[in-house]
Amino acid sequence: MITCGVEKLFKDEATEEKGERARMASFVGAMAIADLVKTTLGPKGMDKILQSTGRGHSVTVTNDGATILKSLHIDNPAAKVLIDISKVQDDEVGDGTTSVVVLAGELLREAEKLVGSKIHPMTIISGYRMAADCARRALLDRVKDNKDDAEKFRSDLMRIAMTTLSSKILSQDKEHFAKLAVDAVMRLKGSTNLESIQIIKKAGGSLKDSFLDEGFILDKKIGLGQPKRIENANILVANTAMDTDKVKIYGARVRVDSMAKVAQIEGAEKEKMREKVQKIIGHGINCFVNRQLIYNFPEELFADAGILAIEHADFDGIERLALVTGGEIASTFDNPESVKLGHCKLIEEIMIGEDKLIHFSGVEMGQACTIVLRGASFHVLDEAERSLHDALCVLSQTVNDSRVLLGGGWPEMVMAKAVDELARKTPGKKSHAIEAFSRALIAIPTTIADNAGLDSAELVAQLRAEHHKEHSNAGIDVIIGSVGDMSELGISEAFKVKQAVLLSATEAAEMILRVDEIITCAPRRREDRM
Amino acid sequence: MAAMAVQAPRSSKTESYVDNKRKDDIRMANIKAARSVADAVRTSLGPKGMDKMISTASGEVIITNDGATILNKMEVLQPAAKMLVELSKSQDVVAGDGTTTVVVITGAFLKQCQTLLHAGIHPTVASDSLHKTSMKAVEILTAMAVPVELSDRESLVKSASTSLNSKVVSQYSSLLAPLAVDSVLSVLDPAKPDLVDLRDVKIVKKLGGTVDDTELVKGLVFDKKVSHAAGGPTRVENAKIAVIQFQISPPKTDIEQSIVVSDYTQMDRILKEERNYILSMIKKIKATGCNVLLIQKSILRDAVTDLSLHYLAKAKILVIKDVERDDIEFITKTLNCLPIANIEHFRAEKLGYANVVEEVSLGDGKIVKITGIKDMGRTTTVLVRGSNQLVLDEAERSLHDALCVVRCLVNKRFLIAGGGAPEIELSRQLGAWSKVLHGMESFCVKSFAEALEVVPYTLAENAGLNPITIVTELRNRHAQGEINAGINVRKGQITNILEENVVQPLLVSTSAITLAAECVRMILKIDDIVTVR
Repeated sequence: MITCGVEKLFKDEATEEKGERARMASFVGAMAIADLVKTTLGPKGMDKILQSTGRGHSVTVTNDGATILKSLHIDNPAAKVLIDISKVQDDEVGDGTTSVVVLAGELLREAEKLVGSKIHPMTIISGYRMAADCARRALLDRVKDNKDDAEKFRSDLMRIAMTTLSSKILSQDKEHFAKLAVDAVMRLKGSTNLESIQIIKKAGGSLKDSFLDEGFILDKKIGLGQPKRIENANILVANTAMDTDKVKIYGARVRVDSMAKVAQIEGAEKEKMREKVQKIIGHGINCFVNRQLIYNFPEELFADAGILAIEHADFDGIERLALVTGGEIASTFDNPESVKLGHCKLIEEIMIGEDKLIHFSGVEMGQACTIVLRGASFHVLDEAERSLHDALCVLSQTVNDSRVLLGGGWPEMVMAKAVDELARKTPGKKSHAIEAFSRALIAIPTTIADNAGLDSAELVAQLRAEHHKEHSNAGIDVIIGSVGDMSELGISEAFKVKQAVLLSATEAAEMILRVDEIITCAPRRREDRM
Repeated sequence: MAAMAVQAPRSSKTESYVDNKRKDDIRMANIKAARSVADAVRTSLGPKGMDKMISTASGEVIITNDGATILNKMEVLQPAAKMLVELSKSQDVVAGDGTTTVVVITGAFLKQCQTLLHAGIHPTVASDSLHKTSMKAVEILTAMAVPVELSDRESLVKSASTSLNSKVVSQYSSLLAPLAVDSVLSVLDPAKPDLVDLRDVKIVKKLGGTVDDTELVKGLVFDKKVSHAAGGPTRVENAKIAVIQFQISPPKTDIEQSIVVSDYTQMDRILKEERNYILSMIKKIKATGCNVLLIQKSILRDAVTDLSLHYLAKAKILVIKDVERDDIEFITKTLNCLPIANIEHFRAEKLGYANVVEEVSLGDGKIVKITGIKDMGRTTTVLVRGSNQLVLDEAERSLHDALCVVRCLVNKRFLIAGGGAPEIELSRQLGAWSKVLHGMESFCVKSFAEALEVVPYTLAENAGLNPITIVTELRNRHAQGEINAGINVRKGQITNILEENVVQPLLVSTSAITLAAECVRMILKIDDIVTVR
């Protein structure tokens, strides 16, 4: 594009879009993304197949908004903004990843109409801001906080977990999994460090066979001829080469004149390895976990010393193990006093399904626990892990911020009502934008109803009428397909999730609305990389 | 309430008709793809089912009747079709048998779903009813099942032979079935009576002979020759066996090394030294009384050299070389010995003892058998023979299925009739149950109940019987209360199938139904295929 006599402002192949066209491009992109994940919203939302174009054409089946968006090929800048907010939502609160994108999409859809009727984007933005603020206050008015009552709080957590899980693959056994998740999170005692909750997936059995176990489970085998059960274990976690009996000196080369000397050198090499093993044993341990291979020779030495040696534990595995047993990962063994050993009460071999695993129980870090997931196939297991992760995230956030709302479209209706009232009081063009905000909010219960194959127009109208009364608990009961009392049905959501959805969706919409020019830089050439 | 769900899709359709159309198309395309996979394996169901010949990309030819293997080799690309392949794999993992059945049932369910969706039923409603159906089906099956004791060897053999009857090797089922039962029972640990680790049963294939020659070996079998290049022994009695993880060859260091030779006399000396080095190792070995060596394969250097073999032969030590590291655990468990990683640690207490170690010629090759092992671990070896590679492979797969069947019975000690009897009974009882339900659900459950009739229908069809006559007759017999009436394929008529000894583990049937339901529900819930990186 050439403007005002400037010959060439950008590089070749760089493009520029301005004004109306730029805005259209962002609106269209953002709405396309929102429509893509829209059908996965709610307890009766549908799944998507993600087919990878990479090698193997692996297939993932998922209902998790963040997972779908993360793996998309996207070129549209505005669409990328939406993907980002869903990612942030996933990291921050773990759930509501679909809702945030759908809400942002709806806000933009409304904004498009307003822009069409010649309202300046800045007016829309300030209207949205007022509406978002008002909506947040409306939610704050209606939150419940049961922090002081432990029993009620636990039942709140159960409800939240069940609500989160009901839109996932685990919905059939949601009570079982809600209990698992709540138990696991309660063990954390307020910390949000989900790393100490380990999730192990084992194919076979059914989802109902999943269980929570205290301690840590390592999916490895114990070396040959070594004890299979150790009490009061002192564990040394290490990352050191024990794979070949090798002490290599780089570039070194020896010249000898007889076979006996070669044998001597070989013997010396063996001796080195033996020394290393002796040093390790010298730490006063009875369990040795190495990230790298432990070859036959050292393995035998450990077996002779009655030490349980585990080879080839994955990186994640040893880091967690070090964390939960209170040890440190060591790689040199010259100063036994400076190495921190891990401790646990009991190490033993257990069988899950057909596989043997090593169970560390009574570990130093009391809050550590392991959830073993069982399921028919890897598709199911992967999706179950994602769902459970969402539930765990939400719960751990709720433990810190114990404010709770009802679910099933209830918060949206409460907000919409408050925003509508605000619109009526606000003079000027802004009131159109505020009204639009309330329409966008109502789109969420509408989508939930649509996905469940219900008559959304009818239901939402009923819902609005219900909410016209003061302090109504009405929401959409998807199972029965009518308006129901959410507090009786036990459908709850965390305040933190809703607040994050509201604020980040508004922010994202605002950001995209502000755009009036898109500059696409020229793609980097292959030669440039050289 | 469900009445509401009927109207619902129509009203939402009016809003965004085009959008929904696309979703329906994707769903229908998925169902279609999955059904065509199911149709492909349908003809291999049952004792008179046909086999498939698969020629793989590498030019290898496989003839098999095993659903999991067929699907695995088909290399389908369509995602939904892939899910069916996964499904059959899952069934293989869970139950080991019924891999064809599960796919056929899924196909039938999907066919019903197609009709249901056309009738305007929302997929989630169909999916939920299917879940309920499968729950109820498991209940009904459990009620039908007959408990079995592990001491009741006959029942175990019966169920193993039912599984074998549908395979290429069916004429040998009288031999293979007891063999499978014995091998599983022999690895059963009394301390953990519900768990069987099939890795403790090793299957060794050897070309030559016929399937008749397949035998259960109480001990170890190596598909290897004894290394007797230098004329060592091929048969040792009262064997003392060592499993070693070091090499009997000239020393080699990890540091690069070279021996500098400056004149002739030195050369002689070096050769002599090499000899002495090996000799001293062998003397140490001999000193413990060891007379059989199993040497682990080494990538770093030769496990044995001609020279060391020569000395070992002189010392009357039988050598088996190139034992894989993965096999070491199985071997040491069986022999009840410890692996030895260094010559210095070569001590008598690490040895294993056996009555006879001998090399046996079989067909065109030789194998080594170790029998009469003292304090043998809970493992067992099955030596499978066959006249050609295809038969041999199929025999191995069939034996695996039979082993799995026995394992299922160990896990869940219930038997159920075969020959389509449980499916017809399910169909009847679910049909009756659907009348108690209300609205949409009742309609869906009824059609899924009908779908289950596909198993007896296909069984009859594959056996060349008139499927309609057979199925209606079966329905009639079941309605009269003969819950064990099933298709007797051999006689071509309907008889009490329990009396005909056609039985299968309960776990196979229940897992087939639940897995099929789970897979169909997953396919129903998908409304879009997104291409990602």
